[in-house]
Amino acid sequence: MSEGTPPPLPEVTPRRTEPTRRARHSPVARLFLYFFLIVFVCIYIAPVLGVILTAFKSNAEIASDGLWTLPRALRFDNFVEAWVSGHVRIYALNSVLVTIPATAISILFGILTGYVFSKLPFRGSEALFIFVIAGMFFPPQIVLIPLFRFFNVVDLYDTLWPMIIVHSAFGLSICTLIMRNFFTTIPTAMREAAIIDGAHELDILRRIMLPVSLAPLAVLATLQFTWIWNDFLYPIIFTKSDSMRTIMVGLITLKGQYSVAYGVQGAMAVIASIPTLLIFVFFQRYFISGLTLGAVKG
Amino acid sequence: MSRRLWTVAFLSVPLLAYTTIVIVPLVTSFYYSLTDWNGFSAQYHWVGFANFARIASDPLFANAIKNTAIWMAAAIVVPTAAGLALALVLHRGVRGAKLFKSLFYLPICLALAVVGQVWIWIYRPDWGLLDLVLRDIGFSNVAIAWLADSTTALGAIILAWSWQQTGLAMVIFLAGLTAVSRELTEAAEIDGASYGQSLRRVVIPLLSPATVVVVALSILNSLKSFDAVYVMTKGGPFHSSDTLAMFMYDVSFESYYMGYGSAISVVLFLVAMIVITFYFRQVRALEHLHE
Repeated sequence: MSEGTPPPLPEVTPRRTEPTRRARHSPVARLFLYFFLIVFVCIYIAPVLGVILTAFKSNAEIASDGLWTLPRALRFDNFVEAWVSGHVRIYALNSVLVTIPATAISILFGILTGYVFSKLPFRGSEALFIFVIAGMFFPPQIVLIPLFRFFNVVDLYDTLWPMIIVHSAFGLSICTLIMRNFFTTIPTAMREAAIIDGAHELDILRRIMLPVSLAPLAVLATLQFTWIWNDFLYPIIFTKSDSMRTIMVGLITLKGQYSVAYGVQGAMAVIASIPTLLIFVFFQRYFISGLTLGAVKG
Repeated sequence: MSRRLWTVAFLSVPLLAYTTIVIVPLVTSFYYSLTDWNGFSAQYHWVGFANFARIASDPLFANAIKNTAIWMAAAIVVPTAAGLALALVLHRGVRGAKLFKSLFYLPICLALAVVGQVWIWIYRPDWGLLDLVLRDIGFSNVAIAWLADSTTALGAIILAWSWQQTGLAMVIFLAGLTAVSRELTEAAEIDGASYGQSLRRVVIPLLSPATVVVVALSILNSLKSFDAVYVMTKGGPFHSSDTLAMFMYDVSFESYYMGYGSAISVVLFLVAMIVITFYFRQVRALEHLHE
């Protein structure tokens, strides 16, 4: 999901009211409903399950049983192979080294600009705000060629820096939007009271604003982490050597090396997806509300 | 420190980064699109609108535009319809709705690179799941290499992409549905409206803000459709699944016609801006409607 563009949503802010209540349906309608659901469940489970099952199979097993059956035993050979010989441990480390700082920096930037745009407005700040969030709508292709040249000139091509820098800068749009919208809901009187008590803006931001901002911060952390981890476009443009590959690019290039070792391919796909899956499982609420709040990357 | 100094302090670094990495390159792309730069040499020439003239006469560009248009049309219909149907079913309340929702959300957190790889397996002619199922339900001789056939490759990629995009559409529709007051639909049903009628007359019109979002997102994401194409076919066979984003990559980073590539990215950018303008106009119209 390297491609990013979250338009601010109009009034579809999720409200946790109105628990869904089971509607009265005729038996035929219910049957149809469940049939429809089951078809969709199969379409959604089969691909995911296929990869996971394959990851646990030996090549011989795949050759005789195919991909879409249960493995005979739980074997982790494929994971070990992918991790060690397949260099996935290098790719995963690279992805961590890109994702963690880029997520942190973009959020930090968003906190600073969001605070200014919500609590310290000045003449023209509204226009500046729109200028900043416009970045969400730019297709990344429009910056690739100049940035390719830029990173060559400053000698950062084929390092991890381009991804960290580009994600930090491009992420500013969504982080600014979400932080500003949240800070706007905190009463301005709190800031004024603190000013009278002699606090300065950084104090206010740190002591008053941030402690109550855990929800939007969690939303941004999950979204940014997922998008940056899953990014494929920037590393493919800005890196070339094996030791600089992030996990998604590594996954695709390894596919050639293991072109018939489907078990290893499956294991690589599983490993590459584990971090975002964990986020999905533990922070689903934030992830979803982030998506619906104003943030959707493809 | 005064308020003004703090403002400058807070804004300076983020805005500097944003300007350097996003805005300046954006403007530079427009400039490069008027040159014949090859990506490496220090020298390049001003060629005026020659790259855009080339765009107008390049059959491969026309092909990429056509495929992107097909993708866009499919993106407007498939994830929107499927996402809406799922949201309506799950919102009405079925046993285990929460679990179903999670299942359909799940692909959103997967990388398109991973999704693409999974669907390559589904589309295999020999043991691909799709052909296996088709054979099971009676088409016994089917062995279509969906991704290697120039008539099916594009559609196959779009379907895999829609698989992920549908969950996203469902999330947005579900959020929209919580805003549809139940009193309204109940009132409609008390007045004797069938479920279909209340859906058509009450629910769907009230969902229009969510629909606008879903459609705008689908269009924007379809413009940027690169990862899935790259992973599944690299635009092939014979450019049959080339999209604008894929074609731009090919021209710029495989063939190193960076001037021409810049011109393509400019076109992509302008189309995205048109979509966005349309989107915000719709949003404003909707807000107006609700006041």
